[in-house]
Amino acid sequence: MTRPGESGRAAGVVTRPADRAVLSILFVVVAAPVAVLALRALSATWFYPEILPPAGSMTTLVALASDARLWRAGAVSAVLAAATGVGAATIALAAGRVIARAPKAVRTAAGAAALLPVIAPPIALGVGLQVVALRAYVSGTFWGVLFAHLVPATGYLTLYFLGVLSAYDWSLEDEARTLGAAPHQVLARVALPVLRPRLVEAVVLGALISWAQLALTLVVGAGAVRTLPVELLALVRSGDDRLAAAAALALTVPPALAVSLLARGARRTGTVA
Amino acid sequence: MTSRDRAAFLAIGLVAAPAALGGVYSVAAALGFAGAGAGDVGLSRFIAVLASAAVWRSVAWTLAIAAVATVLAAAAAVAVAVRLQASRAGRWLAVFPLAVPHVAAALAALILLGQSGLLSRMAFATGMTASPAEFPPLVYDRVGAGLVLAMAWKEFPFLALTALAVLDTRGHLFEETARTLGATAAQAFRLVTWPLLWRGLAPASVAVFAFLIGHYEMAALLGPSDPTALPVLTLERSLDPDLARRGEAHVLGLIALAICVGVVGLHQRARRAAPEAS
Amino acid sequence: MAVLRRAAFRSLVALTLAAPGGCAAPDGRNNTSTQVEIESLAGRSWDSVVARARGTTVLWRMWRGDASINAFVDGWVAPRLGERFGITLEAVEGQGPEIVNALVTEREAGRGRGTASLVWINGETFSQLRQERLLAGPWSGRLPNGACVDSASAFVARDFGQDPAGYESPWGTVQFALIFDTARTPRPPRTVAELAGWIHAHPGRFTHDQGFTGTTFLKGVMYALAGGVDKLQGGFDEGRYASARDTLFAWLRDLSPDFWRGGVTYPTEVAAMHRLFANGEIDFTMSYNHNEVVTKVRQGVLPPTSRALLLRDGTIANTHYVGIPFNAPNPAGAMVVADFLLSAEAQYEKQRPSVWGDGSVCARAALPAEWRARFATLDGDHLALAPDSLRRYARPEVAPEYHARLVNDWRRIIRGRER
Repeated sequence: MTRPGESGRAAGVVTRPADRAVLSILFVVVAAPVAVLALRALSATWFYPEILPPAGSMTTLVALASDARLWRAGAVSAVLAAATGVGAATIALAAGRVIARAPKAVRTAAGAAALLPVIAPPIALGVGLQVVALRAYVSGTFWGVLFAHLVPATGYLTLYFLGVLSAYDWSLEDEARTLGAAPHQVLARVALPVLRPRLVEAVVLGALISWAQLALTLVVGAGAVRTLPVELLALVRSGDDRLAAAAALALTVPPALAVSLLARGARRTGTVA
Repeated sequence: MTSRDRAAFLAIGLVAAPAALGGVYSVAAALGFAGAGAGDVGLSRFIAVLASAAVWRSVAWTLAIAAVATVLAAAAAVAVAVRLQASRAGRWLAVFPLAVPHVAAALAALILLGQSGLLSRMAFATGMTASPAEFPPLVYDRVGAGLVLAMAWKEFPFLALTALAVLDTRGHLFEETARTLGATAAQAFRLVTWPLLWRGLAPASVAVFAFLIGHYEMAALLGPSDPTALPVLTLERSLDPDLARRGEAHVLGLIALAICVGVVGLHQRARRAAPEAS
Repeated sequence: MAVLRRAAFRSLVALTLAAPGGCAAPDGRNNTSTQVEIESLAGRSWDSVVARARGTTVLWRMWRGDASINAFVDGWVAPRLGERFGITLEAVEGQGPEIVNALVTEREAGRGRGTASLVWINGETFSQLRQERLLAGPWSGRLPNGACVDSASAFVARDFGQDPAGYESPWGTVQFALIFDTARTPRPPRTVAELAGWIHAHPGRFTHDQGFTGTTFLKGVMYALAGGVDKLQGGFDEGRYASARDTLFAWLRDLSPDFWRGGVTYPTEVAAMHRLFANGEIDFTMSYNHNEVVTKVRQGVLPPTSRALLLRDGTIANTHYVGIPFNAPNPAGAMVVADFLLSAEAQYEKQRPSVWGDGSVCARAALPAEWRARFATLDGDHLALAPDSLRRYARPEVAPEYHARLVNDWRRIIRGRER
């Protein structure tokens, strides 16, 4: 019997014409916006009705790349993103597993709690986080901003895991328990191998949520915590499109590398060999 | 309940607490107890907002735009997840827009779809239009076409990822079992894959919809000035030069929250109505 | 059970919020530790202030959306502050209206000092910060370089018609200008009336933004239609405002069908207008900085044939200031920074069109002769507007209530199409 997910096709290769059409459309749709940003970042001017920029220019990219302040901000963003990804994914998976098997009332309450940071209007969430950070003496500090990132990330990831676990086959774990495995063994030997690709995805998603934050970082960091979006997004809105596009690309490249981790996600299913 | 369970619930509580606190603060600010321009305690800010036709136009328009964008993103996510589940290139492309900041996506939409954008320049080059004004307005327009496309582009990866995760976890096992039992591809999809997918995607779609209702950046860059998108209106009011009106921003935020709670409620009811997938 | 415990915990947190962050004395001054420190610094010599500031960090919240301004602050001001005063200057993102909200929340919930010691503010933000008692002071009279400030100038001595009263220190001035393309519009309109005629003759080629720049444009037209800015000076008067507004809105209603997109939609920020102008969708853009056209052409944002234009009916000039928040961690350092910004060399460097082109707040007469000569060389730059034409057409801001009312009425009546 073929391994689920492979269905007799060579892994990674798309052969059916309908599938290939979808892939081509997807390529154009995803690549076009990025390509125009790259073109704008690399061109001196690009006014109507020029289809292609008349002259290239590396000056803006070089200027951004040689700005030490931006590298420092990038490092802060990277650390925050990694910490948020790992922290939020761990909490969300643990909580998600408990919630998914809990009685209905508990499931509803906990689901609502996880949903709250997601559906809270930004103005309310921002001021709520700011107040908590101020009272805890962490306003304007790295730890305050990390907390501010963890809150929405954990909310989103809990919902993500609730979705994933709704299709999860609990019978494997139940069988292991009836065979005498302790809870931590079930976790390590049964659940984690099955869920590992989901966990990787969750970590990356949490990191992306943190990387992209601007408003919460400004509100809780009070300007003192400088992440890459804080440094660059004012430029992206400034009206200087070449600088904006270059800044946009600078903000895109590190997450794009992380996203490659997502795509490697299992083409196998969760069944244990 | 084990101590591990309690720890899990405490963690969720900590996550929810700031949002709940923010909600309480919003109510206080909307009543005039807190925030810049506090004073004149009472319902005046609520009345000012709820009695304004412009606000309801904003709300209706924002709901419509967010709904269309969410549906579009979900449809694309399902198509990609089902068709390209086995393709590494497909997965990479599907999640790539997650890496692009929302503002950058909006900027790209302006460069591509604006009346002086790339599509318009191609129309000019082929002689279809003679000036930017002759190209149909796709940005800053009441229909919100450019905005919807940009939002769908940015949100579809999260949904695609969720859909792929659902399909991966359950695998083709059930679908192939159905196929070996004689079902056609369409039947297998409708009876086996689709129920799994919508259960897995529904919470994520609700989250996407809630996000889009409150997302300022793209609406500010691509939306029309009237109806003003709700998040743009909210931010405008929160930075109002007349301090006494800033509390109205919290009223607008509470309206957005009420809408999201309503949508979540609808989702819960739909879930209960539909039978559990076996 | 756990649910109840969590609810109790949350109520406890909420209760602790009831403790106020700081009380105000009857004369409106805060009694926070920053205020106490500033008052004690006011009593000491300037040298002791500088000594106290040495080795410290000053966090300055300002708008970071212009690469030229960032380069000036990060690349010119900060190194000199480090060398001469041992101060580390960190200029970070934070705009006036948002800072007001942030400071209010810090006062409501904060414990101890905040993070920012210096904030870039002007007119309406100053009025809001004073209203909410969010500034520490007075302190700007203490600055040695404050002697150069052109206090005879109506534009510097009064901020949106208000008296700074020592709670903010000026550091630059700008004047509103339209921007046009000499290649497309060789003979641009020079007055409000000519502009109206031009708009009717060129439908769909003019608009204004919804932000501060667009509102400044509307205010300028409002002054002109009301018969001059002196009609609206002094405090806010509801009757005068209502009649000026109605005249302005009648003018707009007459013109807006010939605006870009039929006057149905307006760009949110001036950045969007620059883009439309550069790509030929509209023939005018605008800026509240008359020299922005120089930097934007250099950055490649605007076509090289773009020029600034002052309307003969007058355009609004205003000054930007720096203030010290009520919970500033380092008021001494902030005062030293504000003083350095007022130095002749900082004012000169800032005014150079190749750097920023921001106007100086120093009275020329108060400067030493060699600096007067150097400033004079800036007047000859071919891209900058002639200083006497700037002076002739400059009009001061009026009370901030006019701005606030105009913004809200415009949004409700013109944008929202209410009758």
